[in-house]
Amino acid sequence: MGDNIYLPWIATITEVRPETPDTSTFVVAIDDSQLRESFTYLPGQFAELSIFGVGECPVGIASSPTWEGALEFCVRAVGTVTNAIHDLDVGDKLGVRGPLGNSWPTSEIEGKDLLFIGGGIGLPPLRSLIHYVLDNRERYGAVEIIYGARSPQDLVYKQELKQWEEQSDVDLYVTVDAGDGAWEGPVGFVPPFLREINPTPENKVAFTCGPPIMIKLVVEALEDMGYVDANIVTTLEMKMKCGVGKCGRCNIGDRYICRDGPVFSFEQLRQIPGALEA
Amino acid sequence: MGRKKIQKSDLSRWLDRIAQEHELIGPAEDDGVIRFQPVESSAEIAVEFGNSVIPPKSLFFPAAESLFSFHKRGKEIELEATEPLDRDRVVFGIRNCDVQSLSLLDHVFGQDLEDIYYQERRARTALIALACPTPPRSSCFCTTFGIDPLSSEGSDVLLTDVDDVYLVDVATEKGEGLVSLAEDLFPGLTDDDTRQLQPRPAEMKKVDISQLREKTEALWEDELWQKISLPCLGCGICTYVCPTCHCFDIVDVGSTLDGERYRCWDSCMYSDFALMASGENPRPTKRERIRNRYFHKFSTFASRHGTGHACVGCARCLVHCPGGVEITEVIKDILAKEGASG
Repeated sequence: MGDNIYLPWIATITEVRPETPDTSTFVVAIDDSQLRESFTYLPGQFAELSIFGVGECPVGIASSPTWEGALEFCVRAVGTVTNAIHDLDVGDKLGVRGPLGNSWPTSEIEGKDLLFIGGGIGLPPLRSLIHYVLDNRERYGAVEIIYGARSPQDLVYKQELKQWEEQSDVDLYVTVDAGDGAWEGPVGFVPPFLREINPTPENKVAFTCGPPIMIKLVVEALEDMGYVDANIVTTLEMKMKCGVGKCGRCNIGDRYICRDGPVFSFEQLRQIPGALEA
Repeated sequence: MGRKKIQKSDLSRWLDRIAQEHELIGPAEDDGVIRFQPVESSAEIAVEFGNSVIPPKSLFFPAAESLFSFHKRGKEIELEATEPLDRDRVVFGIRNCDVQSLSLLDHVFGQDLEDIYYQERRARTALIALACPTPPRSSCFCTTFGIDPLSSEGSDVLLTDVDDVYLVDVATEKGEGLVSLAEDLFPGLTDDDTRQLQPRPAEMKKVDISQLREKTEALWEDELWQKISLPCLGCGICTYVCPTCHCFDIVDVGSTLDGERYRCWDSCMYSDFALMASGENPRPTKRERIRNRYFHKFSTFASRHGTGHACVGCARCLVHCPGGVEITEVIKDILAKEGASG
């Protein structure tokens, strides 16, 4: 970020990949070539995307910092700004302000086995870390990914799911709440699916992102399986505006989700009054 | 830097001298309402006043301000940052509660990713504080929060009304500069002056708040917040008149081709303040919003920034609340609670 914390960089959309009927991946490149090359971020950080004249909204960076050049954002058309982003095509410009927030732990988890549990568009923020880990394969242990969505057509990153399915160093489990005629995989919600798979907590850190109710039930399941709070890590969502810990909106207790988060372990969250009420 | 004096009859000459060099801002009356606003000459300034309705934080963190403008030509988009100030400013008449609120806001805007708009206004503005009249207004309670209404801490110059002169405490180099604009008006104090010109101490009701933070923190689940929320209309006036509240919204004005991005005051008391596009709202009722506000004042601001409480006892919120919610009563209720209730 520059000296002016409110001033976005201008970036150009280089690719739009529809993921589901209401969600697409937008690949963007910062226009200023020097900036593009020096722009660094960590898995789990986010950016404020601007459609000038409409507004800004925070979106997790779904690409991995191990990739050069372009940033990827997976955006569901749900509010004014995200709908305006969906009106954009390749070659159109938008504002990018970031990177913002903290990140998934990357050095603390070296040598550990990793379990990723995502629901719906909770997979994109996890994807940044998954690719980071796969691109630094020797530093990390086994990778298990459990992913679920409402229906087969609501699964994001279908190409990558196929790839991970075939990849020998990734164990992928995918479920849907309700199947369709063509779906041959498991059917059911993520938390019971996780209990069924029952991954051992030994030498393992679990990362989860998804709808609040899924996170709540996933954490209950993980605790029943013997995971300790310090080894359960999530990324939180709150209404944000400034993204830099000033506008007073996204606090839980004395922590601003935009500045101190969005990534927290459950050990940290249990110490903040009200953090686990939602 | 020492104490001087100025005859009350000379004050306007000094202020007018300042107004020739800088933008002069002071308490001026508009339809019976005192506001801090730019003035052409000292004649517009109200010297006898309690305090302004809108706190002078608005001079540093305006109710609405442009951050930058955007211009789209074809596919290209150009952004131009808005300059927060075009000249140096001098604020006359600020009360010490409001000076102390700026010291608190400095922690928000001046640290950990600096806000250059606020910072530039702070750097280019001198503060001439005016010690509060004694006795102060009956609603004031700054001393409860450890603020001395007669202190020059945080201001560049402090004027204290004693008989037909103002005692002049010059606290900073900026303050020296202002006094030097009309050096002849500021004689040093004679021994007699030092003996005779004594500010009258401010007598104010004072509550012992040493337990306030821990008592507040023990009340997260308490029924108190529900009770306080009953008369609250959710109008947000407490936050608009609060000198330490700093919540804001960011909104675009204009079209997608040409326009400006504005930062505007917002209020944590509004139902949609934390409402997400998904429909989730972590503070869905007034109970949670009131609790969040008082926690911010008495617990989380202090724990986050390592400061005292985010209240300076100016009493604006309790004077203006249409529902009659009084922060002083809330403090008493919190302190009256016996131990942790869960």
